[in-house]
Amino acid sequence: MLLHLIKKDFLIAKKYLLIMLLISVFIPIFVIWYVPELGAEIGFVLSVIFTVFMILQQVSIKEYQYPKVSALLCSAPYPRKFLVLSKYGFCIGIYFLCSLIYLIEITLFPMYGKLSINLVLGMFLILSVFIGVFLPIQFKYGYAKTKFIFMIVIMTSPILFPQLIKLDKGLSLNIVNTISPVFLYVIVALISISILMISALISIKIFEDKDLA
Amino acid sequence: MNKILEVHRLNRSYGNFSLKDISFSIPEDCITGFIGVNGAGKTTTLNSILGLIKRESGNIKLFGLDMQTHEKEIKNRIGVVFDDSCFYDELSMSEMKDIIAPAYTSWCEDDYKGYMRRFSLNPKQKINTLSKGMRMKYALALALSHKAELLIMDEPTSGLDPLIRSQLLEILTDYMKEGGKGVFFSTHITSDLDKIADMLIMIDHGKIVLQEERDTLLDNYRIVKGDTRKLKSEIKNLFLSIDTTDFGFTGISNQISEIQSHVPDIVIERATIEDIMLAHIKGGE
Repeated sequence: MLLHLIKKDFLIAKKYLLIMLLISVFIPIFVIWYVPELGAEIGFVLSVIFTVFMILQQVSIKEYQYPKVSALLCSAPYPRKFLVLSKYGFCIGIYFLCSLIYLIEITLFPMYGKLSINLVLGMFLILSVFIGVFLPIQFKYGYAKTKFIFMIVIMTSPILFPQLIKLDKGLSLNIVNTISPVFLYVIVALISISILMISALISIKIFEDKDLA
Repeated sequence: MNKILEVHRLNRSYGNFSLKDISFSIPEDCITGFIGVNGAGKTTTLNSILGLIKRESGNIKLFGLDMQTHEKEIKNRIGVVFDDSCFYDELSMSEMKDIIAPAYTSWCEDDYKGYMRRFSLNPKQKINTLSKGMRMKYALALALSHKAELLIMDEPTSGLDPLIRSQLLEILTDYMKEGGKGVFFSTHITSDLDKIADMLIMIDHGKIVLQEERDTLLDNYRIVKGDTRKLKSEIKNLFLSIDTTDFGFTGISNQISEIQSHVPDIVIERATIEDIMLAHIKGGE
């Protein structure tokens, strides 16, 4: 059931999906070409954030446009919590698609960088924070009242992420290097999953109490 | 007859509107019309039954099972038809079906294909190219393809032309022939109920004002016309509603013999469901 609801989100955003995935191909290349000092990693981070949020926005627009579909789905035996969890699954699905695209890119063009576990897990943590904060807000206030958050994320991420990477590099010398990499990976993965789980529980609670008519 | 749906003391408030102690039941093998003017509380009641809006108090049972504790099982056994805007327009009917169908454990693909053929619908056609009537038929195909035992419809005939409305009523009649089923549909187009409803429930200002078998209702109420000068105040009280002019009066009543004993020269005509509905609304004001 959950997979069908995730598939539903891909279906309603299908026109936009192809364009955004194409854009996610070009963002890392563009970053390497235009600001090589930032590195391909920033290109990957930006491509994931842009793609996830732009496609999620498209799904939200469709759901805002056809509010009765949610009512129809909830009058079918789909549990309400599955409608919530499918959104998280959808975002993670897009993340995997972006990672796959990036992996193919760097396999074809090794000079663009590499897809390390650091990058995959670091990006997963960033994504968990973003959707972990954003989705409960959107479930609570709806698309119309939260669309400005999309704009803020899209506008600020090209400035914010290079700064964060610089900060991370500075900190990593002092703190991260003292921790075993495997332990660090486990910690980052657990933090990401915890953020997503707490966020999903909050979103479920919000959506369970929502009137769908 | 088994009760297929029981609503007991349902309450829900919205700003300046509220459902007040809504109680009614629907027997099996009955087409039940839920009537009332726009804003009377029909959709709010249906949405509460389906769990789409939270009720403040009250119990809802379908097939003898409590909606709160057996939601999934109950929803597997009901088919729901909303008005025309409950699909993603850009999808094809086949894509939309692929979203809805996996929710039902008893989804029957053969039934779905059968209905699509019967309604002359092409599954590959985009939903935004369908007429209002075709959308309604498609919604019915989805609602009837999982062996639903109760069909709940919100204003299904609203905005449809007479031909499509008559086809819809035929489909409902055929569905009922299978036995052990029930249909509960809200409407403000009462002429449809004249044709097929077995039972009528009327809501006004968030309160149930009547629940009666259609034939009993139509047998009990009559339009009465007569001379205004002979209309005394004690006779006026026998009417559900009454309009008077200098030339005469027209009223609706279910106490015809008593009126006739006071005013013998009256004209009595059969009332339609609409006449009775409007009389209840006017009488309540």
